Amino acid sequence: MRKQFIWRSQAVAVLFTFLGFSVVAQVVRIQNSPEAAAFLRQQSDRYAGQFRTIYPTRGEIYDRNGYLLAGNQTVYEIGVDLKAMRNPHTIALALSTHLGMDYNRVYEKLINPPQGQVYLPITDFVPAQKAEVLQQLIESLSEQPTDSSAADSPSLAGLEIRSHLQRSYPEGDLAANVLGFVTREGRGYFGVEEKYNDNLAGKPVTVWVPLDPNRVEETPKIPQGATLILTLDRELQLAVEDILAQALYRTGAENGTIVVMDPRNGEILAMASTPRMDLNRFWNYDSVYQNASEFNRAVSMPYEPGSVMKVFTMAAALDTGVVSPDTPFLDTGAIQVGGVTIKNWDEQAWGPQTMLGCMQHSLNVCLAWVATQLGPQTFYDYMQRFGFGHATGIDLAGEATGRLKVPGDADWYPVDLGTNAFGQGVTVTPIQMVMAASAITNGGRMVTPHVLYAMVEEGQQYNTPIQYAGTPISAEAAHLLSEMLAVSLEGESSAALVPGYRVAGKTGTAQIPTPYGYYTSGITNASFIGWGPVDDPRFIVYVWLEKPTSSIWGSETAAPVFAEVVRKTVVLLDIPPDAVRQKTMER
Amino acid sequence: MGRGIPWRHFDFLLLGAIVLATAFGVTMIRSAVAGNEELLPLVNRQILFAVAGLAVIFLVASIDYRYWLALYIPIYAAMMALLIALYLSAQAVFGAARWFQVGVFFVQPTEFSKVVLIVILARYFERTADRPHDLRWALNSLGWTMGLAMWILLQPNLSNVIVLLVLWMAMLWISGLPLKYFFAFGLAGLVAAIAGFPFLQPYQQQRVINFLFPDPTARHGATYNVRQALIAIGSGGLFGKGYGHGSQVQLRFLKVRHTDFIFSATAEEFGMVGALLVVAVLVFIIFRCLRAARLARDLSGSLIAYGVAVLIFFQAAVNIGVNLNLIPVSGLPLPFISYGGSGLLSLMLAIGLVESVVMRQNELEF
Repeated sequence: MRKQFIWRSQAVAVLFTFLGFSVVAQVVRIQNSPEAAAFLRQQSDRYAGQFRTIYPTRGEIYDRNGYLLAGNQTVYEIGVDLKAMRNPHTIALALSTHLGMDYNRVYEKLINPPQGQVYLPITDFVPAQKAEVLQQLIESLSEQPTDSSAADSPSLAGLEIRSHLQRSYPEGDLAANVLGFVTREGRGYFGVEEKYNDNLAGKPVTVWVPLDPNRVEETPKIPQGATLILTLDRELQLAVEDILAQALYRTGAENGTIVVMDPRNGEILAMASTPRMDLNRFWNYDSVYQNASEFNRAVSMPYEPGSVMKVFTMAAALDTGVVSPDTPFLDTGAIQVGGVTIKNWDEQAWGPQTMLGCMQHSLNVCLAWVATQLGPQTFYDYMQRFGFGHATGIDLAGEATGRLKVPGDADWYPVDLGTNAFGQGVTVTPIQMVMAASAITNGGRMVTPHVLYAMVEEGQQYNTPIQYAGTPISAEAAHLLSEMLAVSLEGESSAALVPGYRVAGKTGTAQIPTPYGYYTSGITNASFIGWGPVDDPRFIVYVWLEKPTSSIWGSETAAPVFAEVVRKTVVLLDIPPDAVRQKTMER
Repeated sequence: MGRGIPWRHFDFLLLGAIVLATAFGVTMIRSAVAGNEELLPLVNRQILFAVAGLAVIFLVASIDYRYWLALYIPIYAAMMALLIALYLSAQAVFGAARWFQVGVFFVQPTEFSKVVLIVILARYFERTADRPHDLRWALNSLGWTMGLAMWILLQPNLSNVIVLLVLWMAMLWISGLPLKYFFAFGLAGLVAAIAGFPFLQPYQQQRVINFLFPDPTARHGATYNVRQALIAIGSGGLFGKGYGHGSQVQLRFLKVRHTDFIFSATAEEFGMVGALLVVAVLVFIIFRCLRAARLARDLSGSLIAYGVAVLIFFQAAVNIGVNLNLIPVSGLPLPFISYGGSGLLSLMLAIGLVESVVMRQNELEF
């Protein structure tokens, strides 16, 4: 019976053997032939990793005491792996339910992806809680058994959640004008974020990243962006911002600026400017600011400072020796300079005065006379040495230079010598005034202001060295002037005085020039520059209130603000009252 | 053991090979699912099925296979009813459900239909051995086959339909199919394959296309699995990377590594030597089945053992062929090794039948 099967069985046996051997041959080939090995190794490498451009984590920004001002938080990008996607309907539904996205637009995007694209980003900057909800949804759906042929079953397959970092500012709008912000493209705008953008961002590197955890050490280490430590004191900054806000409320001023600097080394301790915005909502920039110079008025907004400028006219005069504090001057209420009559602020004649009285009563006629005594050459030489008309070099983006007309400029007229002497016809920024004032507190040597205390890069801390910006006046002149300004404040029992601390300073009230050149009378810029303690200055404070309405005079609006700032500063910086300090030093 | 049951001829070598293959399969499954909490219970489940399977071998071996032949009508009817029920329930849930859930186990009737078909065809060809081997005779056997295959085709589950058709063709061939019909059927099959291609499920079409014309630039998608399998096999080398140390397996580059691509996982972790040993064990099992076919006391016994040999051979060849990129992707498990309770149990059942045949090789036992 079995005979008939023999050849048929043999045929089957031959088939089995042939197929069996082909299997064995293929195994041997794949595992032993060099060509197959090379091909597979190449294939394997394609899957073993991928080239990725790694952007270093943006460096953080701290205040001088180590409080975080700008950090990073994890946010999530939602995208779809189109090859793995099984049900665009489910994905669009999930995104519309949980992220509030438009169902139809997501669905359209998913079913009509751009040609040749395998990964389609849908949305970005999703906060952690929402991403977590989505992740749970993905997991719960993937647990149900699905079959590749069942196209209708709900599936979030292909939906991918990728984390990355986004800039965050834990203090909201605190020091916003100094910090600046970072857009979603990762570029810094304004302030420190723009000035130090390259340091903070670090260098993006394209590297080959292995997926095999055993080879993870082959991933090159990407250094983080530099961490910045600012000279700002968070507490003082907050206090100054509060004082400014109250001052605006009280005086009805439109905007204001306050700068506090340590004159010994140029460290900016606080720099407040209005308006400020919450940096975490940087997209509101357009609605908060009309133009870029408003972001930080302290460095970007030049204006005519008015009488505070008299400080530097007097400094020049004392330094050259054309006057001394008790040089007499007969104020007749008017003086001719370059064919134009200059009058006092109250249009009165103040009679016999000394230089001290000129400063105390802020007599324009007197200071114009002092400037004429100096002569244009010397006067403008000094103004330039004080840095007017040039950027101070402070490490903040968008610094303006202001405008100092000098003899020889097409729009300079001889009368400018007289008006510039008391701060008209010249524009300066608050930071320029602060820097110029540092010459008076530092025995004639001027210091460049800076906000960067130190930069920490790859474990190394680089402290910012003190930079001096020349010595415009002698130590004696500086001392004389400081003394004059202290006495003049005391003489008129100024609102700028602070009990326990001897301060020096000068108010300024500047009429605001209209675009047509002449001045309006009722609208002013009220300013105050001051420092203290006079015998060992620890702070320079500059106050600028724009268009105060309660009073147009700097002595009534800006001077009390100065006093408030000083009262806060001495507490927060632990500066003992003069009497205590002097007693300690005697011992 | 009961009187009259001739355990003397029980093929312990075959049983040993089965135990070896199954134990190795459990070992490989454990490595393949390591670290995946959802799949981890599969290891114990496979052990459970293996133990139950061994019991089934002894149980089926102790029963004379001719009882099954005598009961062919109820067996066939029950099998068909199960397949129809599965098809209808699948319709009800809008998808291709291929299993019934019994407790925590999924039972796949399709797997058992292969064994049933072997029994049915063995009986048919024995009864018709003396009839003229004409077209009617051949088509009748096809009718028996299609009675089961049709419902599987509707699932749709093409791979298993092909398994059934191969079983039918192999048994028809050995029963003396005239060469002219053989070639005619071959031609008809080819025409049907080409004509039927547009009616395949899109994913099935894609698999064939991906095999014939692979996209060399594809990083995702259909060629991914096969390519990862080749990388796994190729990276194994002579002795492999060691159990539990295959990076393709452990890092999950290799997909469905506990079922369809378990051969690749083996090749990576145990190398060429391990892979060829697996092949050798399977060859030995097939060889012992064919030996049973040669020793069988009657034609139906021969055909059963031969059919089981064909079943094991074909599934193994297809599975390994897919792993080696010799044929297009299809989801047939590697016999005794891959995870799959129903598949393992039905194969154990088939081995039980073979043991039953080989135990009763002599007409009379004294």
